[in-house]
Amino acid sequence: MALEKGAQEKAEFLKGTLDMLILKVVAAGAIHGYAISQRIQQISKDFFQLPQGSLYPALHRLEERGWLDAEWNDTATGREAKFYKLTRTGRKQLEAEMLHWEKLSDAVALILRTA
Amino acid sequence: MGRTMKWLRRFTERALSEKRLDSELQFHLEQRTADYVTEGIPPEEAHRRARLEFGGVERFKEECRETHWENQWDILVRDFRFALGSLRKDRRFACAAIFALALGIGASTAIFSVVDNALLEPFAYKDSRHLVTLHLRDLDQADDWRGLFLYDEFQEFSKKNDLFDGMVANLQEDVVYSADENSILLAGNYVTPGTFEFYGIAPFLGRSLEAADYQAGAPPVFVMRYKTWVIRFGANASLLGKRFNLNGVPRTLVGVAAPRFAWGGAELWMPRPPGELKITRSFDGRQYWGVVAHIRPGVSLKQAAANLNVIAQHFSKVYPKDYPTHFSIEVESFTHIVTPREFRRALYLFSAAVGLLLLIGCANVANLLLARATTRAKELAVRAALGASRLRLVRQLLAESSLLAMAGAVLGILLAWAGVRTIAAVLPDFTIASETVIEMNGAALLFAVAAGVCTVFVFGLAPALKASRCNPEEALRDTGKGLSGAAAGVGLRNTVVVAEVALSVALLFTASLFVRSFVALQRVPLGLQTDHVLSVRIPLPPDRYKTGAQLQSFFGPLLERLKSMPGITYAAESTTRPPYGGIRSEVEVSGRAHSDKWYTLFQLCSEDYLSVLRIPTLEGRRFTEAEVKDARRVAVINQTFERRYFDKEDPIGRKIQLDLLRDFPDAVKEPQFEVIGVVTDARNRGLTEPIDPEVWIPYTVTGSAMRGLLVRTTNDASAMIKTVAREIWAADPNVAMAEPNTLDYFLDLFTFAQPRFGLWIVGMFAGMGLLLAAIGVYSVMAYNTARRTHEFGLRVALGAAARDVVRMVLRQGLRLLVLGMVVGLGASLALSRIITNQLWGVSPYDPMTLGGVAVLLLLIGLMACWVPARRATRVDPMTALRYE
Repeated sequence: MALEKGAQEKAEFLKGTLDMLILKVVAAGAIHGYAISQRIQQISKDFFQLPQGSLYPALHRLEERGWLDAEWNDTATGREAKFYKLTRTGRKQLEAEMLHWEKLSDAVALILRTA
Repeated sequence: MGRTMKWLRRFTERALSEKRLDSELQFHLEQRTADYVTEGIPPEEAHRRARLEFGGVERFKEECRETHWENQWDILVRDFRFALGSLRKDRRFACAAIFALALGIGASTAIFSVVDNALLEPFAYKDSRHLVTLHLRDLDQADDWRGLFLYDEFQEFSKKNDLFDGMVANLQEDVVYSADENSILLAGNYVTPGTFEFYGIAPFLGRSLEAADYQAGAPPVFVMRYKTWVIRFGANASLLGKRFNLNGVPRTLVGVAAPRFAWGGAELWMPRPPGELKITRSFDGRQYWGVVAHIRPGVSLKQAAANLNVIAQHFSKVYPKDYPTHFSIEVESFTHIVTPREFRRALYLFSAAVGLLLLIGCANVANLLLARATTRAKELAVRAALGASRLRLVRQLLAESSLLAMAGAVLGILLAWAGVRTIAAVLPDFTIASETVIEMNGAALLFAVAAGVCTVFVFGLAPALKASRCNPEEALRDTGKGLSGAAAGVGLRNTVVVAEVALSVALLFTASLFVRSFVALQRVPLGLQTDHVLSVRIPLPPDRYKTGAQLQSFFGPLLERLKSMPGITYAAESTTRPPYGGIRSEVEVSGRAHSDKWYTLFQLCSEDYLSVLRIPTLEGRRFTEAEVKDARRVAVINQTFERRYFDKEDPIGRKIQLDLLRDFPDAVKEPQFEVIGVVTDARNRGLTEPIDPEVWIPYTVTGSAMRGLLVRTTNDASAMIKTVAREIWAADPNVAMAEPNTLDYFLDLFTFAQPRFGLWIVGMFAGMGLLLAAIGVYSVMAYNTARRTHEFGLRVALGAAARDVVRMVLRQGLRLLVLGMVVGLGASLALSRIITNQLWGVSPYDPMTLGGVAVLLLLIGLMACWVPARRATRVDPMTALRYE
């Protein structure tokens, strides 16, 4: 029970950072939802244990905001899928958030090292 | 451009985007399954794992849809439809909440509007908060001696410009307007220079009175009241500049005052050039002016009064008859003067009660919402577990709260509107200033609606936020105590119910006292008969009717004519309108010595006066037509006069002396009258005041004082008004009658209208208080039983009968009711002390009334408990226990 509660708190916290992760992954080039979820799990070494479905409301939200653009294209296997790519405002947003994160983590790292 | 097209397409192709959403998620699941299969997992297991990792498909679809702008409207409609459905399912709750809200909003706005209009802002005059009126108070009688002043006094007062910025005075004057065919009577006012500037209201048409109009020899002009101009003269603008024959003087109409200008209650205002003194027909020849001043900011009322008292001391030596032995000048706020003291206090009391009503209405709504939140905690938890996002739940509850708030506010506004209209309609004449306009107060309405709506949102959403934040599993496992079952909350809710019951006991008790007092008032024996009597005041032109003989030349033939007409049994001349009698004078009785001053009322009347009113003779006889004609010095007295001033001696044949007659303009040199008869007592100071000594003498002894007619008819008295008017014009075409109406009408207007209005308001209040208390008891008991559903189920499962459960619930409710009633009875007894002087013929501690109120409230309270109690018995033990 307590464990579950902890997991839920982590989920709440991650929701905010999820947007940035998605933008980062999409920045590498047009990519579909399933591939995004695979990439995030791979890179983070399964740290983020979100239900995979929760990725999609986030994708739709970012698309609605104009940070992502979407197009239906064929995959390598010849199946039709929705591909996301970063828009110009999306790229600006990603840069701003990354800058913010770097500053924050630098500051935290500095405190942890010196305090 | 392309972007706009794309957005537009999205809106029109919503079916397509739904399909695409579906295939996007399906693609994910299929890919994941395929990946597991390539890892060597059997397809079925692979599919299961993929779904498990993905989470609730429908939930995520829903969340995706919610991000799309084109779906927002649909979502809103869906939320509201859902909210409507869930409110409809719990109809009793919805009705109670909406009703409580509407009652709170409606009642508080209506009453506050009236209080504000009648008491706080009755006038449209410039800076009316600083306007004051002056009074001369008799310190021995604790009574007003007079609120009017001599012109000399006014002039002296107005010189005190360190106290006042300005001071004006007005003099009432009946004005007969003679047109071609007939004459009508208008209420005129002579006003002092600067009056219109003083009140700071620009005229509606033309101009107001100017300094030049007050010069000696200036052409006579006047200004008309807006209402008179509209009602009597058809709002005819071409009348401006026309000459009107007023009291025999041609006067030019120079302006129509602004709609809310009604200074002195007059219909027309005239300048009074100095030197024009002997123009009015007051009974002792002096003119008394109403005085209004604008007090300088920073000067207190007491300060001003102290200064004026010095001047008054001087005048008391110049005009000793106009001053009592011990007196003081009092300065009172203008607004206070126009609203009678008791009525004012009642209104303040009502506005305090109204604040409580709003508070209670809101408390009821809060209670109902909390009760509902408790019973729904599980429903919400289940929905959260099934994947409804927190936003979703909040939105749905928001929709529900909006519906409740909207319905309550709309109904509340309607109630407020109807309330203001009703009160304005039943408000008796002369209880508020004629300038006052009773209308809805926008600010008050806004405040009440805001208070109500905020309550709904705060208490409608707080549990929602709590429910959606907490872990679904916990809530599901919980037995129903978890959500808002804090003991402190229960205590607060119970306190609210106790307060509600207490308040409605107090209101009901007050209302019942008013009812009983009103009934008692209507049963007061008058000692005279007011039915089938027509009463008319006749202001005679003062220049042509100066002596008793001149009066007789008018009234003698007129009364003769009237008496001979079919439908009229008696007709008499009179000076006042019963049950208010006569002129007050000092009196001497021959052979009776006394140290204190003796007073009596006297009536100047013709021989039929006592017959019109059917006042029976006890001893001796009444005076005859011949005695009236010859102005013989004879008098009839009432029993109180006999008892008080003759002390068991035989009054017949004795002489009494009415001192005031000596001071009349048409003075009676030796005002001694021989007592020829005694009649039974009849009310002469209204219904509630004790009867004063009264004397009737022939009206022909003097030409002074105001006169009128009393006519007894065989059928409806008001049907005879036209006949009487025609006969008056036939007797003298330049005489107009004033205020023709039945005696019953005046009795109602001056005696019953105000108590009836009080009854109305308090009754309305008590009804609403009772309803709110019933809703309050119901909401708390519903909440309590909902929380104990589980316990009841257990009890029933263990063999408790339905009766036992009902008894348990009722006992709990009864405890609150009885507690509230005890507090309420205490409050009632305290409250009834305040209203004692408005009650008549009933004790403020009347045990019958108290008992009746207690029983009524107990019955209604138990009924409110009965509904949730019955529901508790219907709990299926299995359902109640399954949650364990």
